[in-house]
Amino acid sequence: MSVLRGFLWLLVFLLLGQTLVRLFHIPMPSGVIGMLMLTLWFGYRGGMNADIVRISQPLIAMLALLIMPGVVEIFFVADQFADQWAAIVTALIAGTLLSVLSSLLLMRRYLPASDDTGTARETISHE
Amino acid sequence: MNDWFGRLSQLPQQWFESPIAAIALTLGAYFIGTRLFKLMRRPNWCPPMLIAAIMIAVVIALLPVGVEDYNRGARWLMMLLGPATVALAVPLYQQLPQIRALWKPILMTLPLSATLAACYAVIIAAVMGAPEEVLASLAPKSVTSPIALSLAEELGGSRALLMGAVLTTGVTAIFGVEWLSRVLKIRDPRLIGLALGINGHALGTVRAFEINSVAGAFASLGMSLTGAFTAVALPLVWHLFY
Repeated sequence: MSVLRGFLWLLVFLLLGQTLVRLFHIPMPSGVIGMLMLTLWFGYRGGMNADIVRISQPLIAMLALLIMPGVVEIFFVADQFADQWAAIVTALIAGTLLSVLSSLLLMRRYLPASDDTGTARETISHE
Repeated sequence: MNDWFGRLSQLPQQWFESPIAAIALTLGAYFIGTRLFKLMRRPNWCPPMLIAAIMIAVVIALLPVGVEDYNRGARWLMMLLGPATVALAVPLYQQLPQIRALWKPILMTLPLSATLAACYAVIIAAVMGAPEEVLASLAPKSVTSPIALSLAEELGGSRALLMGAVLTTGVTAIFGVEWLSRVLKIRDPRLIGLALGINGHALGTVRAFEINSVAGAFASLGMSLTGAFTAVALPLVWHLFY
């Protein structure tokens, strides 16, 4: 039963997010607002509700399953983007490799080295 | 006998009248996909989700039902994306002490990395002449899918194309992080985790948890923060241009 109680909590925060999005014209998905509200609520309470933790683990593990139905459709609408494929594939693969490279370089530059790696700490300078 | 065949041929249509067949097909494909993935020794260029999606597509193509019939049923499953997004508050809250300890370097690097992740793809596609609808479907590609889906709706992109983009990005990011961190001699699990989470969303995070728990924690941190940041920033920036 505690799983269902946790699920109810998630739904309540989702509805709260939806309410705030509608009331204040926030340009963000209601799930994200619900997520931020729940994080704030945990912070306010100083801990997490055990029911929510119990339901969140299976739900997060299901994320990959939940987006699969969306992926299926691409095989059926592929010809709609027939003349765009070169641009799409190049943008995705080259763009992702470039962004991985730049985030690795950025992080290496600014993240203080952890003690166990034993490397000297880089001094952080603003450019 | 003819009568019987008639009833048999109508059966697939009738299955897909209620969402049950679509949900069963999705779950079945998911488990077979995971099994095949293990049998193929976990190739990182082909996640279980891709195997499963191809299997579902083949089944739909073979049966006399359309992808719309499947989508109508699968929508019930995708409705869980909302509560699943809210559930991401749990890993986010668990990592608050980590965020507090490292807030300065993370604040300096993460928004920039998340912005670059969207910009590179949009700029490359725009230069190659892709129309606005395609650009809107590519921009949220590095964001975890529940957030990306609502973003694509907000920007007016194609849902199907976005999901394909999210999947391709995840696979490329896993490959890229493993390859480039070897080239750059980066071994810090926090760094590898952050790079996987920022660029490779949920797929990268799952991979990071396979490396070790530190990488996994930082990957979910990178994923949640990239999602939250992009969800706020992208619509605002987008509406400046379009």
